[in-house]
Amino acid sequence: MSDKDTFNATLAAATCALLGSAVATPVVAQEEASRWSFDSTLLYYGESDDRVQDVSAAVSAVRDFGDERKLSATLTADTLTGASPSGAIALDRPQTFTSPSGRAVYTTNAGEVPLDDTFHDTRFALSTSWTQPLARLYTFSAGLGFSTEYDYTHLGANLSLARDFNKRNTTVNAGVAWSQDDSNPVGGRPVPLSQMLDVGNNSNKRDGSESKDVLDLLLGFTQVLNRTTVLRVNYSYSDSSGYLNDPYKVLSVVDPLTGDTLTRVPVGQGPDGVYVFESRPDTRTKQSLYAEVKHAFGKPVLHFSYRYMTDDWGIDSHTGEIRLRWPLGEGYIEPQLRYYTQSAADFYRASLVGGAALPRYASADFRLGEFDATTVGIKYGHDTASGNEWSIRAEYYQQSGSVPQQQIIGNQAGRQQYPDLSALIVQFGYRFKL
Amino acid sequence: MNSTCAATLTRDFDHWTGRFVAMASPCEVLIDEASASLARQVLDAVSSEAWRIERKFSRYRSDSAVHQINQSAGSATPVDDETANLLDFAATLTRLSEGAFDITSGALRKVWTFDGGDRVPSQQQIDEVLAVVGWHKAEWRRPTLRLRAGMQIDFGGIGKEYAVDAAAEHVEKIAPGLCCLINFGGDVAVRNERASGKPWRVGIESYARAATAERVVQLARGALATSGDSRRFVFRDGRRYSHILDARTGWPVRNAPHSITVAADTCTQAGTITTLAMLQGRDAEGMLKATGVRYWLQ
Amino acid sequence: MKKTSLCLVLLALSGCAGVQPWERDVLARPEMSLDTAPLDAAIDDHIYFSKEASSGGRGFGGGGCGCN
Repeated sequence: MSDKDTFNATLAAATCALLGSAVATPVVAQEEASRWSFDSTLLYYGESDDRVQDVSAAVSAVRDFGDERKLSATLTADTLTGASPSGAIALDRPQTFTSPSGRAVYTTNAGEVPLDDTFHDTRFALSTSWTQPLARLYTFSAGLGFSTEYDYTHLGANLSLARDFNKRNTTVNAGVAWSQDDSNPVGGRPVPLSQMLDVGNNSNKRDGSESKDVLDLLLGFTQVLNRTTVLRVNYSYSDSSGYLNDPYKVLSVVDPLTGDTLTRVPVGQGPDGVYVFESRPDTRTKQSLYAEVKHAFGKPVLHFSYRYMTDDWGIDSHTGEIRLRWPLGEGYIEPQLRYYTQSAADFYRASLVGGAALPRYASADFRLGEFDATTVGIKYGHDTASGNEWSIRAEYYQQSGSVPQQQIIGNQAGRQQYPDLSALIVQFGYRFKL
Repeated sequence: MNSTCAATLTRDFDHWTGRFVAMASPCEVLIDEASASLARQVLDAVSSEAWRIERKFSRYRSDSAVHQINQSAGSATPVDDETANLLDFAATLTRLSEGAFDITSGALRKVWTFDGGDRVPSQQQIDEVLAVVGWHKAEWRRPTLRLRAGMQIDFGGIGKEYAVDAAAEHVEKIAPGLCCLINFGGDVAVRNERASGKPWRVGIESYARAATAERVVQLARGALATSGDSRRFVFRDGRRYSHILDARTGWPVRNAPHSITVAADTCTQAGTITTLAMLQGRDAEGMLKATGVRYWLQ
Repeated sequence: MKKTSLCLVLLALSGCAGVQPWERDVLARPEMSLDTAPLDAAIDDHIYFSKEASSGGRGFGGGGCGCN
């Protein structure tokens, strides 16, 4: 091979002869510097009837090192205020409860679903993950997660391995995740199924924190079906053990005929009815099967997903979600619809009957009951000239549940049995590169 | 090969994008700052130039110049100026590569089919074909070309890059100073810088995961060409045989990078350098450094 | 039994479907990625985890919280 200048001159001359003219201007080309990509969002979540309100902000950063190595980190902060149903039933008379701290009381008006109002919480969460190829066709990923709020901390780690087959049309991945959560409730942990006591009486509360360990296994399968369609199917297995109770939730103990909460006379300040703290098993095994499909109809993209979950608490659920991303000008519009239905846990009780033997486990937490939930939403995204994207998303979430007939006693039939929920979610997002 | 002969024009937020298929590749023309009618004119000019060159130099079409030459079976064929220029250019490349690059290696396609399958020909089959491979066996005296019986020429190695430059030249004639980017399946040329001064952003396809850009090159003007095996290869016994054949041996070049992208003044120059570098096999990077061009390897 | 037939279906799918590496143009579009909006997904997962009894499915949850 001749030396550089001769080679370049020969080639330039040959090209000039071929093209019939000299291209006077030299090339100007450079590689774009490897960038950080950021995704940030600001979210508002608000339930109707002055229940829970949440404002949260999250930032996620990804550094792509090329050759499939990636580092990502996400930081989230959210502030929760408001009240959540405590599990006690509504009555035709006002009710008084001792607050979780054990130092004060709060009252609920007649006809209203009792809400526990001492619920102000700021939570910070940080998660990071590293992905890299391990060998040709193998990709390895590891992650760590941490979150903290005043009565709860979480620490988790995960590992996964993916293998491509079939000209990278098929990917199989397997992953495992561990986490340990520590719960240190305000006022101490109540003894399950013990009665709510007067202000200052902590005899049924236990000090110190309790932990919950979770092991998750995931087996996933991704398949390119054709040029415009891709499918993913995941099987998950999750095993939780430890303290699974919600320390702030109670059940009302009611009269077997009237269905109204048994009354009680407090010594000083305290509850004017008989309420017991909930009790859940100390293990829970869940399995779920999840499938999603993305299909492009020309420019628009349709996304459909379905998940079936079943666990050993007797809960079965189905989730179906559909989104359609439609290009619009310099951006897109994406309506979405989600439908969720779950059956009640075996130990879900709207209330407990006075005089009957206490069951081993019982909870009136609406999240373990039987309900349907629908979300309708729409997202609009806009690409800026520099390749960044801002977006806005609004969703309306509605939950409505029912209590099994045999659990409705006496006067309860005439009242709102299930604390239905409706929430508005508004989210602003901005994606940019630096 | 029949292309669908349809070119579509759509408006992306700050430029027009014209798309069509030619030379078995997805082709596009990105046009900056133009009216819809001018954009259409430019797209038609580029696509018709691409299809013209494809028809003229296709090995399969009976009306193509290349087909006529390949069917000449030992008799002399006169060629027109354009074909003559390409033959002169090819001859220069054969000289610069000391015979590794050779347009008469088209005959080797009889024994090599790069479809991702596992057929590898035997040395005997290759030797048989090598009897009709070699530019020195042809008689090229402008404007007449005489091939020996059984010899085949194929402009596949330089045709696409030449088409990009020819199309760019054509656009410059009908719309001087227009800012557009011409991309024929990864071979790109930009004649004039954009009015806004911003470069075009070109993604270099990642070898590992096809159609996922690994790197982005900012091209303000000039050309990019990529030579690589991610799309056409033979895979057998754990070894990947690139589709770039060394005409001297009849075998694919060994230990070449998976893909080379080069930036140069014209697409023809960029394409030539990537091809000649690939033919260096293990020494590809050495050669690229020696030429002083900007390059990206995978 | 159900799991075995599911596995067979999945294996059958993997054999007969797929595209050539040069046909991945549509699949490479960012909106065709299965993880196109990971932050949205994490937020949704967190909201639904705190209001419903099911969680995850798509991947590992981002982290626990005291909300369930």
